Amino acid sequence: MSEPIRILFVDDEERILRSLAMQFRRQYQVLTETDPRRALERLKSENVQIIVSDQRMPQMSGTELLAQAREIAPDTLRILLTGYSDLDAAVDALNSGGIFRYLSKPWDPQEMAFTLRQAAEIAVRQAQPSAPLAMLQPAPLTLLLLDDQPQTLEVVAEFCVAGGHRLLRAASLGEAVALLNSQVVDVLVSDLQLAGEDCTPLLKSLAQAHPRLLSLVVTPFRDTQALLKLINEAQIFRYLPKPIRRGLFDKGLQAAAEQVQLWRAQPAQVVTRLAQPPRDEREREKVGSLLGMLGRLRERLIA
Amino acid sequence: MTSASALERLLRPVAPLLPGISIADVADRLLTPEHKAFLSLPIVDGSGRPVGLVSRSALQDIFMQRFGRDLRGRHPVEEVMNPAPLTVSLDTSLEEAAKQITAQLQYPITEDFILVDARGHYRGLGTVLDLLKAMEARIAQRNLVLRKALVELKESQTQLVQSEKMASLGQMVAGVAHELNTPLGYVQNNLQLLRELSAPLFDLAAAQATLADCLNDPQCDEARLAQALQTAEQARQDAAPELLAEDLAQLFDDTFYGLGQIAELVVGLKDFARLDRAISEEVDLNECIRSALLIARNNIKDKAETLLQLGELPRIPCAPSQINQVLLNLLNNAAQAIEGFGRIHIKTWAEAEAVFISLQDSGRGMPPAVLARIFDPFFTTKPVGQGTGLGLSISYKIIQDHGGQIRVASEPGRGTRFLIRLPRPQALPLQRSA
Repeated sequence: MSEPIRILFVDDEERILRSLAMQFRRQYQVLTETDPRRALERLKSENVQIIVSDQRMPQMSGTELLAQAREIAPDTLRILLTGYSDLDAAVDALNSGGIFRYLSKPWDPQEMAFTLRQAAEIAVRQAQPSAPLAMLQPAPLTLLLLDDQPQTLEVVAEFCVAGGHRLLRAASLGEAVALLNSQVVDVLVSDLQLAGEDCTPLLKSLAQAHPRLLSLVVTPFRDTQALLKLINEAQIFRYLPKPIRRGLFDKGLQAAAEQVQLWRAQPAQVVTRLAQPPRDEREREKVGSLLGMLGRLRERLIA
Repeated sequence: MTSASALERLLRPVAPLLPGISIADVADRLLTPEHKAFLSLPIVDGSGRPVGLVSRSALQDIFMQRFGRDLRGRHPVEEVMNPAPLTVSLDTSLEEAAKQITAQLQYPITEDFILVDARGHYRGLGTVLDLLKAMEARIAQRNLVLRKALVELKESQTQLVQSEKMASLGQMVAGVAHELNTPLGYVQNNLQLLRELSAPLFDLAAAQATLADCLNDPQCDEARLAQALQTAEQARQDAAPELLAEDLAQLFDDTFYGLGQIAELVVGLKDFARLDRAISEEVDLNECIRSALLIARNNIKDKAETLLQLGELPRIPCAPSQINQVLLNLLNNAAQAIEGFGRIHIKTWAEAEAVFISLQDSGRGMPPAVLARIFDPFFTTKPVGQGTGLGLSISYKIIQDHGGQIRVASEPGRGTRFLIRLPRPQALPLQRSA
């Protein structure tokens, strides 16, 4: 029998903590903290697989807590649970907190249970003893760019030249799918619109078909709800608002490259990304048909 | 060009005279009906360029002398004409022409003015009276345009004030809606838990009822009784009522507390808007402060602790929803001015003539250049789209309309303090006599 999964809930409202603890104490070992600073202290000394934090707390924001938690315990799965839909917080939580899910209050008890089950699944896989990390030479990556803006191309092209990476480009979703089926792509840089088509279903399909492919979304759209879905259903790696800020973009690409190298050194079953199926019926269908088109890719991955 | 055609409209075609024509002939012409409207007649040279104007008054001066007509009637008119008449080019604008003419005009007005084309050739005469009428019409038209602009401006100002009100209302509602999410979150979850936790109790009740039926039934055999006993025992173990009691009590307590929170927020919203009350009534400003704080809590709680020092205040007549709007605006500004975690200190007190509200934050403060402009409409330090720049100017207006004053002091790095003074009703006559 393996160790039980330990979940740390952080919220300045103790009633939230009591309610969650009562809901999950039978499946998991539940820890609670009302003060995020104490939560961080605990992370330093205790083993915690999943941390679920509120956003607005007097001592520290949830995004700040999760960003610091990531430094202390990088393997911990981080979930934000907030009553506020705040775009900046969501962007921060993703880009610096690397969150697994962004959940809203009031939450649906079943959905919360499902999310925690998914997180626990990943935690269990992570916990399996992996082969000793072979220090790999940084190998070149393959990037696929789905954005026709010259500014984006410039940054990505420079990054590829500097790192000796291969850059692929597609002008339409059809082309993108064809490329994804014929090449092994490590990093995807995409706007949410390509030649008038919505890229979101493709991003969501890829999260399911190819969990190791990292998506960086570069977009002028500033829509909190859309971003939440991209986090939860497409498991995107970064969300970079346009007009692009070069430093941030470069850092994102760099982080993606490091993550890919790290995964290459690990066995295939250790996948820390797990997307939630789209809630919207029509979108689910679209993702389903795209998954069919990406079938060959999946077969190859399984093989 | 409308201005050029405006002068064209003033042009009266009068046949010009040559400098050699006799004074008597000019006098005869001035007496003809078609020249009645003119004070003077134009004189041009052989090439059609104006060289002078001969006025009725100049001729009258001659004829009023004894034997004037006999002595000078045959002299050429150039002897008595004004050799430097008012001359205006037709392509001059009406305003420019009016400026030139009024600058040179002498009293009494004895002459008309000459209108020439671009090359300086005579085209006709203009009268000062016509010019004045044209100017008057122009001004009337301008006034009309200005009045229309003023009405439009007032309308758009009203709209702006309205949209600022809607924006702050929207912010407030969104804030409160978010604030509701926390108690809603655990109340909802607790109810789900209560349902799950209480389900085994019903099973237990059912099992015990079966057992009781069995005991009351003389025909119940041993096996059935044993079965019922075992089911009841199992149900009791599953339900574990002694363990459950504590959990249920906690869940009920928390749920009631959450509902209380939700109710408090809803009542707060209602109090804040005061839509169901009169515009002006006797109001305790401390209540306004508590109500605004409740509404602003979600914007403040992760930014600052609030320190309240509320003195005893007499009720004063005011529009509470407007005062609340001012307070919410100041509170939100204070929270936004704070970097990291700070403090908002609110103090109220009453003096003989007025009541005072002081709102002090430990935010970043403002340099004098910003401070001097904060009550100006549309002045904002926030990025485009994040503030209308009307919040404080509206607050200023609201306090002013209440006969009060709002003052501000600020120091960069130290914070900002707003002081609101609202007059007490009985203090008004005193103020006037002072």
